Amino acid sequence: MRIALYVTCLIDLMRPGVGFAALRLLEATGADVVVPPAQTCCGQPAWSAGDRQTARLLAEKAIAELADYDHVVVPSGSCTDQLRNIYPQLFADDGHWGPRATALAARTFELTEYLARFAPELPLPDAEGGHVTYHDSCKGLRGLGIKQQPRALLARVKGLQLTEMADCEECCGFGGAFSVNFGDVSTRIVDRKCESIATVGADAVVGGDLGCLLNIEGRLRRRGDERTRVLHIAEVLAGGGES
Amino acid sequence: MHFHARAAERVRNPVLQKALQKAKPLFVGKRAKGVASLADDGLDFELLRSTAESIRNRVLADLDVWLDIFETRARVSGAEVLWARDGDEVARLVVDIAQRYGVTKAAKSKSMLSEEAQLNEALAAAGIRPVETDLGEYIVQLAGEAPSHIIAPAVHKTIGEIEALFAEAHGRPEQPRTSADIPAMTQEARAVLRQHFLSAEMGISGANFLIAETGSAALVTNEGNGRMVTTLPRVHVVVTGIEKIVPTLEDFSTLMRLLPRSATGQTISNYVSLLTGTRREGDQDGPEKTVFILVDNGRANLLGSAWQDMLRCIRCGACMNHCPVYFSLGGHAYGWVYPGPMGSVLTPLYTGIENALDLPHASTGCNQCGVVCPVRIPLPKLMHGLRETQVERGLRPWRERFALRAWAWVARRPALYRWLTRGAVRYLRWLVDGSGRIRVFGMAPGWTDGRDLAAGSGKTFHELYAARKRA
Ligand code: SF4
Repeated sequence: MRIALYVTCLIDLMRPGVGFAALRLLEATGADVVVPPAQTCCGQPAWSAGDRQTARLLAEKAIAELADYDHVVVPSGSCTDQLRNIYPQLFADDGHWGPRATALAARTFELTEYLARFAPELPLPDAEGGHVTYHDSCKGLRGLGIKQQPRALLARVKGLQLTEMADCEECCGFGGAFSVNFGDVSTRIVDRKCESIATVGADAVVGGDLGCLLNIEGRLRRRGDERTRVLHIAEVLAGGGES
Repeated sequence: MHFHARAAERVRNPVLQKALQKAKPLFVGKRAKGVASLADDGLDFELLRSTAESIRNRVLADLDVWLDIFETRARVSGAEVLWARDGDEVARLVVDIAQRYGVTKAAKSKSMLSEEAQLNEALAAAGIRPVETDLGEYIVQLAGEAPSHIIAPAVHKTIGEIEALFAEAHGRPEQPRTSADIPAMTQEARAVLRQHFLSAEMGISGANFLIAETGSAALVTNEGNGRMVTTLPRVHVVVTGIEKIVPTLEDFSTLMRLLPRSATGQTISNYVSLLTGTRREGDQDGPEKTVFILVDNGRANLLGSAWQDMLRCIRCGACMNHCPVYFSLGGHAYGWVYPGPMGSVLTPLYTGIENALDLPHASTGCNQCGVVCPVRIPLPKLMHGLRETQVERGLRPWRERFALRAWAWVARRPALYRWLTRGAVRYLRWLVDGSGRIRVFGMAPGWTDGRDLAAGSGKTFHELYAARKRA
């Protein structure tokens, strides 16, 4: 079994630890895990901006470099959504790339989805003891239907207690370029998320998408909350989460 | 003023924010209950959605035929049917009818299409007084504003603001008010409105649906004002969009299982009227003259286009009620008649893509709208399509286009990409202040105006991974 770990550009730049945590988890399943050396970005920013042509160029690159793996695992709902749901749309009318995109889509999994499905018995380390709450990212939840998987995994971490916050399915306001182009609106939205988090009073908020997490963390800190940790679920599951 | 400026103003308006903050959980909670209650009747939401979607699609596939049938049936029952290409034509037709019947006052029940046509302004200019009789519409009319929500026009107003408007309009001193006073304030507006119902010579309403098989307009309201407007005055004018047709009463009842539940969570609205033709021999009430004005105003252009799905809309408001952007700004920020996700699609389509460049981008893509829409309109997909159209037509700023292409050019050259990203993460580390984070980031001030930026570790994943493999 050969797995390609697709390290998203945000993880590459902003929090490499998430990539290594995902790597440890996947290696623990006994698979041969590789981070394809040429990978850069899935092209979502271009797609999102409406630049189909540019998005296609990057999609072609990703499809080609991920062709030879049994599974592709992505520690992000939104990049998984791009590979699984958007790539086939981008090449719907393309006889060469279309079938390749569809084949890749069928082999691509978000990290928690993958672990829950293919490694249900994977031993998980004990938590240092902690009280967490989970933020469902939009693309993971509404794009891929990921809801139970992260919760089932967290439930298996000894010493960890999960309390749901109100509106855990509500958008955090990140939205990629939206967070910069409409910064004040984005900030207003994430403020509401911060309030939900504060009400739960957990030690950490956990999620599966680094974009959301950077947004939430950035706002929590600006509001003066230096206490609540903001963790990617890979960091929690692999143990030794660092914020 | 552009969307950006309007948005900036509104996120900083504490009174507005308070009103919105209060309304959101109510809308969301009520709809959730309403949809859950379908199970009590042995109905399944997703199945019903599919049925509703196909009813609407069936109409749109042969809209001309259904409109023909509607017109014939409506005429048989004594109504007149007129057609309007755009808002100006609507205004002209209504003013014409009013003048023919010597109308000095028109009582209006809610109609978003009359907002598209700026009908109130046109009536007033012709010396005819339009009086909005839906409570929310009455409030925004007193305030000299436009509705900020398609089913809750005054949702942006706090009770204090409404009290001030009532005190002034009704000639009484202002009092401190709480939500316990809502019934009393409603009674007060009712008493004023009753006089208008009795004295108006013309009633103007919209229609939630037009039923082809009977030539009727269906009107769904909660305050009963719709009934007064459509039965008391001598003349009743229905102004509505050509896409509002449904084939049969059976189809109407299917859609009615979804409309009130999606809008307010009610299993059925307080009043459901089916208005067919004029007053007949022996009828207790009803208008002597009924006129349907069926309006295009951009709709026909969407037929057969990539945007046709949008015409399925039944104006329930669920998309805006679940929209994080809408509830950060309120409806006025959207700049035209329709707010929220459906507005971000309709405004560019009806007023010109180049006139509303920001709207399709003013979305996080969360799809909270798409999953609640009772007729399954893929709103994020339509907004995305508009973004693509902007790019195809060269309507995006050159900086944005250049930046995307330059970045993609680099991203297709991994060695160069690695080298540049290594530089970038080091630069980020260098920007860090005493807090260990970045407080001001000149390249993306939109981020750091409201949030800190974590600075990363100063190394990229790929360089650490390569080092690990070498070790
Ligand atoms: S787009 Fe859908 S959810 Fe929004 S108002 Fe129309 S029918 Fe309702």
